[in-house]
Amino acid sequence: MTLLGEFALWISLPFALWGMVLGYAGGKTQRGDLVLSAERSIYAVFFLHVIASAGVMAAFLGDRFEYWYVASYSNAELEFFYKVTGLWAGQRGSLLFWALILGFFSSICVFQNRKKHREFMPYVAAVLQTVLLFFIVVLLFADVNPFERLGFTAVDGRGLNPQLQNYWMVIHPPTLYLGFTAFTIPFAFAIAALLNGRLDARWIQLTRRWILTSWLFLSVGIVFGMRWAYEELGWGGYWFWDPVENASLLPWLTATAFLHSIQIQETRGMLKVWNMSLVLLTFLLTIFATFLTRSGLIESVHSFAQELKIAFIFLGFMASVLAACTVLIIYRLPQLRSENQIESFVSRESAFLFNNVILLGAAFSVMFGTLFPLISEGITGQEISVGPPFFQRVNFPIGLALLALAGIGPVIAWRRATKRNLQKNFSTPVVVGLVVAAVLWISGAHHPLALTTWGIGAFVLTVIGTEFWKGTRARARIEGEGYLPALFHLVTRNRRRWGGYIVHVAMVMMFMGFAGAAYNVDERFHVEPGDVVQVASPLGHTYTLTYEGLSTARQNGMRNLAWQAIATVSVTEGGESLGILTTEKRSYTTQEAGSPPMTEVGIRSTFLEDLYLILSAMDDAEGVIMRGDSNAQGIDLQVLVKPLVNWIWLGCLTLVCGTLIALWPSVDRKRAAAESTADLAAEGAPVGAAG
Amino acid sequence: MKKNGRFMVGLVGVATVVTYLIWTGVSETMVYYLTPVELMQRVEADPTFHQVGVKVGGQVIPGTYHRAEGELLHIFDVEDLDDPSVTFTVEFRDALPDTFTETVEVVLEGRLREDGVFEAKTLLTKCGSRYEASQEELAG
Repeated sequence: MTLLGEFALWISLPFALWGMVLGYAGGKTQRGDLVLSAERSIYAVFFLHVIASAGVMAAFLGDRFEYWYVASYSNAELEFFYKVTGLWAGQRGSLLFWALILGFFSSICVFQNRKKHREFMPYVAAVLQTVLLFFIVVLLFADVNPFERLGFTAVDGRGLNPQLQNYWMVIHPPTLYLGFTAFTIPFAFAIAALLNGRLDARWIQLTRRWILTSWLFLSVGIVFGMRWAYEELGWGGYWFWDPVENASLLPWLTATAFLHSIQIQETRGMLKVWNMSLVLLTFLLTIFATFLTRSGLIESVHSFAQELKIAFIFLGFMASVLAACTVLIIYRLPQLRSENQIESFVSRESAFLFNNVILLGAAFSVMFGTLFPLISEGITGQEISVGPPFFQRVNFPIGLALLALAGIGPVIAWRRATKRNLQKNFSTPVVVGLVVAAVLWISGAHHPLALTTWGIGAFVLTVIGTEFWKGTRARARIEGEGYLPALFHLVTRNRRRWGGYIVHVAMVMMFMGFAGAAYNVDERFHVEPGDVVQVASPLGHTYTLTYEGLSTARQNGMRNLAWQAIATVSVTEGGESLGILTTEKRSYTTQEAGSPPMTEVGIRSTFLEDLYLILSAMDDAEGVIMRGDSNAQGIDLQVLVKPLVNWIWLGCLTLVCGTLIALWPSVDRKRAAAESTADLAAEGAPVGAAG
Repeated sequence: MKKNGRFMVGLVGVATVVTYLIWTGVSETMVYYLTPVELMQRVEADPTFHQVGVKVGGQVIPGTYHRAEGELLHIFDVEDLDDPSVTFTVEFRDALPDTFTETVEVVLEGRLREDGVFEAKTLLTKCGSRYEASQEELAG
């Protein structure tokens, strides 16, 4: 199976090449047979990559330690689940996985459009095959072939990094990759539009769902990564402005800008060059993020290896794409002229534009800070870095401005907002925001940034809440419905708009959660069994923690586990028991000799705050574990109280709901699509999904 | 055209603010990334450099790690990667990361005190190659 997989990977190379050449040729000559062949080659490449991926999985499941990749990321004892997901545990498998998902999305896209939008499809197929070809070339020629043999069979593998043996870490990379790869489709349509000269908003309408899908996976993928860091890294944070985290944030920022600016092109026929540039930029950033995550260009906690060859291939590809697209855009400039002009400084177009400029500003600052060590070394020969304080200083004000726009944008009038429009829509929300800030100030929350965030958050929530209320009430009155059915119909009649508002609410929730960090409590104690410590929450109550002692276990059935030491702490608040929390040190058999154990934290999560315990160190780890010494149970215990962390995860859930509502085909459109493509529907094809 | 002009002013305004934020952000938060050799040279040339926050990468010297009695204070020595004769003692008052060992390369952020001890505020371990074994390691 593994041999077959390796073979399939090689065979996919000529297929991708064939499809790419035929796609461009077919688009140029308008010959249907060439185009058909190009489209079919996409199915072929996808099928071959399914076999290749199955080959890698088979190697993992069969403990084939003659393969470098398997020997490096697995061992005989590794749990089944992690062997299956070994496909994307390391750089080599991830790149194949990237190609696999891209092939999957490309196949769906080609299948959906096999009988429609034929003017785009030859070039779309060609662009998709170009990107696929690039990844195949990387896999085969950049020393990252997952099928590379060691030349001998290792006795056992090195095992999977224990920090990666976590549920979130298994789903975080593929979710991000789904987001990265899905964006290739809008990019392909944009290039197709540049090539075939159909430069109105058509390509945007055709790919709106793909853009949203990509954005959804990017958002969720980033939050999964935060969740993993929060649970597994054991320092209580969820975002460290690490180069790899930044790299995944960059395409999210530009994709968010793109999602907003395409609405201006759709309604007002403006910003065509801008949108072309944004789709290009976002695509390049997804490639850049893939490259950065899986190479060691910039020192990072995530970096796996330093490889120059792959760096050159990636940068070369990005440079060529950038050059080719710039030439195309310049060539088409006359047709990309704006159909309208911005009429007023105070209008929805203007709000969208500011949203775009600010998002790009954020992206630029994050990029700049991430690459700063390289830039400074290149210019001055002296490596100077900027850390989290830089990103915080720059992005807090930017984030607040964006948050405010999330409330202003939805209700400000198109073209030109009148004074009346502004007064009518914004007086109450501004007052509510100020009142909320004042009440929080009086109740003791004096942190300026947090206070501003919550104030602006309250403003946005009021704006959007009012919109929902007004819409529901009007509908209830006109249609004579109850309020709940009216709300339901309101949303389903215009899913795109109301889904978008729900996403704005989600962003407010997440920002409010981020602001909670201003009130984090961080206390460290040295405790012996029976010791009682007290930690005050910023919400006013006090936690009383009793350290009960350490219990140990060795190889207790959990695979790969050498030993674990579990500290038990019982928690009470105001005399009432809140139960027991545990925090552990664990050592795995696959860890290097002498390397320290891993920490597992204990979290008690409530709506308003998390209590977070870290077993920092044991006084006499050897005594406890090797000799079971009951007198050596002193530990260092770190206690964190983290207000509003849960709002981040709840916000993410809300974001998913909002985006799904916006994605769902609306009833009318579904019907229209079904009628216009009745012949397709008869064959059982999915309808309405493309437009 | 007048309206567009006003609009441009707005956009330029945003760009200016972002540039200003980046500029002040960099100048107030940047830290030099030095090797121990470079750090010693700097401090010798300019004693006020003792006050400046720096980032230093070095190799922990095996056998030098110990913990101060009864408090959260870790002490160990670090040497230059290229020139092992250049060393200094590090004091770190925080929980060590799981990846810290006596054989690891560390990146420290803090300042070199006048008494020659490096007071580290943060400690990162460089573990880039840890889970990517070389052929030789797998053979062993």
